Amino acid sequence: MSEAGARTSRRGTTPGQAVRVMRAGPAAVVDVVRALAGVPGARLADLFGAIEDGGLLLRIVYALDRDGEYVVVEWPLKGREYPPLSDIDPAAFVEECEIYEQFGVRPSGPRLLNRLVVPPHAAHDFPRLGTPPPREGREPHAPHYVSGEAFEFPFGPVRGVALESLYMGLVTSGEEVIDIFLLQWHKHRAIERRLQGLPLEKALFIVERAEGLSAVANAWAFCQAAETIAGTTVPEAAQAARAVALELERLYNHAAALAALCQATGLSVGQAQAEAALEQFLRLNLACFGHRYLFGVITLGGVSRGPDLQALLHLLPPAHDELHRVTAALWSTNSFMDRLEACGVLSLEQVERLALVGPVARASGRGSDTRTDHPYGPYGVIRAADVNVAVEERGDVLARMKVMAAEAEESRRLLMRLAEAGAGEAVTEVRGQAGAALGWCESPRGESLAWLSLDDAGRIERARLRPGSFRNWRAFDDAARSRNVFTDIPIIEASFWLTVAGFAR
Amino acid sequence: MSDASLAVGSGPATDDVGSVAERLGAARALFGRSLHIRTVDTGSCAVCESEIRLLLAPHYDLQRLGFFFTPSPRHADLLLVTGPAVRAMDVALAKTYTAMPQPKVVVAVGACPLGGIYAEDEVVHGRLENVLPVDVSIPGCPPSPLALLQGLLVAVGRLTEKVGRLGFAADLT
Repeated sequence: MSEAGARTSRRGTTPGQAVRVMRAGPAAVVDVVRALAGVPGARLADLFGAIEDGGLLLRIVYALDRDGEYVVVEWPLKGREYPPLSDIDPAAFVEECEIYEQFGVRPSGPRLLNRLVVPPHAAHDFPRLGTPPPREGREPHAPHYVSGEAFEFPFGPVRGVALESLYMGLVTSGEEVIDIFLLQWHKHRAIERRLQGLPLEKALFIVERAEGLSAVANAWAFCQAAETIAGTTVPEAAQAARAVALELERLYNHAAALAALCQATGLSVGQAQAEAALEQFLRLNLACFGHRYLFGVITLGGVSRGPDLQALLHLLPPAHDELHRVTAALWSTNSFMDRLEACGVLSLEQVERLALVGPVARASGRGSDTRTDHPYGPYGVIRAADVNVAVEERGDVLARMKVMAAEAEESRRLLMRLAEAGAGEAVTEVRGQAGAALGWCESPRGESLAWLSLDDAGRIERARLRPGSFRNWRAFDDAARSRNVFTDIPIIEASFWLTVAGFAR
Repeated sequence: MSDASLAVGSGPATDDVGSVAERLGAARALFGRSLHIRTVDTGSCAVCESEIRLLLAPHYDLQRLGFFFTPSPRHADLLLVTGPAVRAMDVALAKTYTAMPQPKVVVAVGACPLGGIYAEDEVVHGRLENVLPVDVSIPGCPPSPLALLQGLLVAVGRLTEKVGRLGFAADLT
């Protein structure tokens, strides 16, 4: 591929931090993307635009999972159209819609582009990253002509008890969900736009609150990008402390997913027990880092405080034992297991076509995990942080639950070893300077990416946040369509365990 | 609304909860241990939702105090709102509020609806009180379930006051 790229550079110093940035001319980019998409184990990780030197620059990020490398293809655009990348790699479609919505530049051809996050009643001066498109995106509606008998069952945006705002259009002829479409613009807070012009410290505060349930992972990815720009090496003790926070975040999220799964299946006993475990995990977070959801732990150059390892060693085993007991009891509850089996199925082919990440991908047989594929922080560096990746094959809700349960076990093992290896408070200064870099982290919902461009004063020119939720929501309708009835939809939603906040940002 | 009281804060609370038993007694007399709560998310980061859901967990068990979550605004006495009042939620929020019967109270949950995270702009109202009359605010990012519980008890007091002011239709004629 090097012949196509006019400029190739390697960023990052430690062996794990391999990012290759190349610039491609308009003629070569289609060939480059085709070549990258054909690399075994490659997946489209992100595609986003930025205004640079007065024009739009697209960045195509491919994750070469088997080679442990990210490839960023920079593509300066001229004009209002570009050759459609989703023809080569279908995983690019949602991002093409996003680029159209934010910058008004679209893939050529007759393809209709969907509305993503800019609300339909937004005025023309609604804050966007670039100039608005001449015409807004199409309202995503499922085709309603299914043997003439189907109708749309509207659900949302205000839904059940303390659920996030989300509109679900369930297309049905009575019981089976034939099709589903989602409107997620209700929660758009224009966070990427807000970050522009901010100094890094202020931006980090917002980044944590883009998707609070992945605060550690998103903040880590963001800080990693800033640290790469500055050439900072984060002290080992701080890296270990970050990993402690990240694994704690994974544990409480998986417990919460299990509680939601029990609630969706109407199993109140299991729900109460899983919530008891969840509350214990949140209190463990509080004891270790002083915040139930671990806000403020990750700072630029390190961590704001080290974990209370005594509390960790003392409180983790009983909390995890509680979760383990619930999981074991659910395992032998046939009425519960019957609801999960063959529900919300995603095939490996679907996972690869949409380039999904995290437990959703791993439950369908794609064993990618940035902690092992693209080692960062302590992962792959210190032995205490060697991760065994859990993989299942069947791709249904049960497989996703099994992956989450196995990951919870693994997180406990990692935490105990990290506590023994020692993790403490340490920060090095991160000086804001001009540059651009990619950061990544394995959130409980899968790979979280952050791209950062800074100006000379160290202020943000462009910050791209791509939480795991943003990638995985696009597979929700595929899973929902796999011969499911109404009551399966909340079960599938719980097994994905995504946030609308992370998608709409 | 300037009379919104901060249920929980770093300083002394501006609205004394009084004894829990006293508050619950009042709620029991008025609502027959059946006070119903509706939640609306106006752009939160999903963490306040997590804390609200935990009110039902065994550690807190909201239902033992006579509070219930309801899936219908028509059955709701109390509206829990999270998030910075995203403008895109205006219609849904107004419909939910209008559908609730009198007397009703609005409780703003977390730093977002107090304007603590996002300032008012084209995307968000920033403060919930710009769109709804807020009776009680529960600060915190996120407020813990115990803070939520205390806020709910303050809100019960507000509801009790509102019932006292409510006239009967017959009095108006």
